[in-house]
Amino acid sequence: MNEEQVLKKLTEKFPFLNGNIRIARARRLFAEVPRANFREIMEYAHGELGFTMLCTITGVDDGGTIGFIYHFAAFNGVILNVKYGVPKDKPVTRTVSDLFPSAEMYEREIIDLLGAKIEGLKEGRRYPLPEDWPECQYPLRKDWDPKKGAGKEEVNKNG
Amino acid sequence: MGKVTIPIGPQHPALKEPESFAITLDGEKIVHMNVNIGYNHRGIEKSCEGRTYTQAMYILERVCGICSHTHATCFIQGVEEIAGLEVPKRGLYIRTMIAELERMHSHLLWLGVAGHEVGFDTLLMYSWRDREIVMDLLELVSGNRVNYGMNVLGGARRDISPEQAKEILKGMDLLEERTKYYIQVASEEVTLIKRLSKVGYLSHEDALKLGTIGPTGRASGVDTDTRRDDPYAAYPELKFKVVTDNHNDVYGRVIVRLGELIESYNMVRQLVNNLPEGPISVKAPRKIGPGEAVSRYEAPRGEDIHYIKANGTEKPERVKVRAPTLANVQSVAKMLENGYLADVPIVIAAIDPCFSCTDRMIFSIKNPDGKATGSMDWKALREYSIEWHKKQGVDFSKAKIR
Amino acid sequence: MLESIFQIIVFPGFVFLSVAGVFAEYIDRKLYARFQNRQGPPWFQPVADFIKLLAKEDIIPEEAEPKLFSALPVVALTAAVTAIFYIPTWGLNALFSFEGDLVVVIYLLTIPTLAFFLGGWTSTSLYAMIGSVRTLTQLFAYEVPLFMAVLAPAILADSWSLSGIAAYYSQNPLRALFNLPAFFVALVAIQGKLERVPFDIPEAETEIVAGTFTEYSGRLLAYFRMAIDIEMVVCAALLSAVFVPLWVNAPALGVIVFLVKLLVMIFLFALFRSIFARLRIDQMVNFCWKYLAPAALFQLALNFILKGLLN
Repeated sequence: MNEEQVLKKLTEKFPFLNGNIRIARARRLFAEVPRANFREIMEYAHGELGFTMLCTITGVDDGGTIGFIYHFAAFNGVILNVKYGVPKDKPVTRTVSDLFPSAEMYEREIIDLLGAKIEGLKEGRRYPLPEDWPECQYPLRKDWDPKKGAGKEEVNKNG
Repeated sequence: MGKVTIPIGPQHPALKEPESFAITLDGEKIVHMNVNIGYNHRGIEKSCEGRTYTQAMYILERVCGICSHTHATCFIQGVEEIAGLEVPKRGLYIRTMIAELERMHSHLLWLGVAGHEVGFDTLLMYSWRDREIVMDLLELVSGNRVNYGMNVLGGARRDISPEQAKEILKGMDLLEERTKYYIQVASEEVTLIKRLSKVGYLSHEDALKLGTIGPTGRASGVDTDTRRDDPYAAYPELKFKVVTDNHNDVYGRVIVRLGELIESYNMVRQLVNNLPEGPISVKAPRKIGPGEAVSRYEAPRGEDIHYIKANGTEKPERVKVRAPTLANVQSVAKMLENGYLADVPIVIAAIDPCFSCTDRMIFSIKNPDGKATGSMDWKALREYSIEWHKKQGVDFSKAKIR
Repeated sequence: MLESIFQIIVFPGFVFLSVAGVFAEYIDRKLYARFQNRQGPPWFQPVADFIKLLAKEDIIPEEAEPKLFSALPVVALTAAVTAIFYIPTWGLNALFSFEGDLVVVIYLLTIPTLAFFLGGWTSTSLYAMIGSVRTLTQLFAYEVPLFMAVLAPAILADSWSLSGIAAYYSQNPLRALFNLPAFFVALVAIQGKLERVPFDIPEAETEIVAGTFTEYSGRLLAYFRMAIDIEMVVCAALLSAVFVPLWVNAPALGVIVFLVKLLVMIFLFALFRSIFARLRIDQMVNFCWKYLAPAALFQLALNFILKGLLN
């Protein structure tokens, strides 16, 4: 199934995707979806369209929202990038590690670096920041200044 | 002796990088294991955001010492895609050639490490000696043994002269002969086979479920190879086959990597013989975008993925790096189920882990009051270390840094 | 009397063994390096290593029993040195000999292994404890084949004394050829005793750091290493005394023949080390009981029959 067929199938199944999904080049699909519909789109892509591999999850700081981009790959080289945003003051979403066991590390990375909360993720050690990294310091957020670092005052306040 | 938990790492002779495995043993059998990684996070993704595309490329080249070309190329492909740059054929050929030479040196290095992990040091010495051939070729072509810096935005940095091409072909013949010898060793040496086969078993289904990629997945019959499935650079014009194997164990991973070496030699021969004439690079704009791209690249260890988001300035908005090890490390626990302690080093080594790639460090140093502070600059770090050593009774404050 | 003291202290006693041990380590390392296409160490490297270790601090783990911990390396060293007195070296007669000294030598050679085990166990480090358990497991696997393999020539020679065996085979050198299978078994088992590849499981570097020796440092480690070097020479001497019927009963020439025999043995040891991968402990035990022990038993049976036919 090439990218055009995937696009057709997806828009047939989810009409609201019309206009929110585009083919950037051969084998590259980018889609923006509402947070609420993400799960069913993912399950459909996984079950029906053959996107059985989760390459990685990218977290992006988009100013007011935190964007999650899931990169799903099929065996013929097509990549489906599905993005949704959650508000920055309440960055909560659900895990996909039940469907893709490999997602666990990618999700932990977003928790540590962007300060997202991911529900349903099983207990485990944090990754990749050190155990004694202060709370509320999320290096990949745009307002986090590497020169200032996680300052001492803030550490005392939070840690 | 009841059940004991032994730490393998962060410092351990089997592992040349900081990662830690807590292994619970019942006698020699593994009951349970925990993987801890993240010792080497350097904040590379963040630092890319504050730098221009060219600077970011050089930083990303330092993500890993072994697959340095991998990350630089993967990043730059994405940037070129956003900018709509048409890279000249010759530039692509040279990039691909370095990529394959890098794969050879990585696989030969891995073969030696695998030998060392099972106590077969002769194999280590032999394969690392032969690895020098490809290291010398890389030095000849790029001027460096690692971190070649062969990329520029829009092409390759250095051209390949006919003399260099001849040297490369000579090196390929030599390496092919040696690799055939290793294939013979791997198929005949009894103790080696005993240590490798039926060890680190990962069934085809589990490999698919856990998303293992690269040679680790291919040894479990997962037939993926970005070079074929999502061709980039000069791969669409090359003839090669994807080596897979159905042993599903460490032995299969050896077979796959050795097979890939032979394929790489052939690929480099094709590249050298069909090197097109013309320029090697085009001029790239300083400001790129806006736009986003996902770039894939078959690194020696598996698929490397970069996500690049450009916002129309000369600095990237977001760079995301997914190194192959992160996708494979979760399969280690599965492979070691019901295994023996003695198999731990070789099973870990068999995914060819590269943890500095995976973790990409922010150093966190404890203040005297026990609280962590954030990053330090060089001066602060130096002052801190002088203070630390003074407490141990050594005064380095007079020492000069060149 | 004076001669005995000279023999105990100088040749083939302590002084000779120390020098030979150091030299054997050099030969072994150099050959190993050459087999691996490396340059290898200079001739004084083992001495330099030894002196360096002597100069280092001794660290005794807090949990360890300090007296036992420091005594074990010396015990291992002494046992290895004592064994040489019952082995014929340059002449047909060992320094001391009695009917049954074969058993004594085998048991003296077991003492260093037991010292390694206790050393690892008393270190209380996890790596060392796993290493010492492996040492003991391995001991039970190779000791029986080794003993049977050395016993077989004794049966044929109808003497349980090493000097007696040497005398018998120097008179009937061709009969030593019957013992070739036993020689091979003993050679393999000795690799286990010396904890070398493919049987270096108790100190498998990539798995359990330095195994039994993980917590040892400084002088104590130097003694342990010296004990291993001397054990290697003694094992080589034992193999050549039992299996190689080459004896010259003239002092100077005898010494040269003895040294040549040692060199050949050490060459074989180094060759073994460089062509194999390390086995797993279960594979090692399996191999010893499935192949080595039956081979040794076969040799024993063969020699019983031969004895009846020939003598």
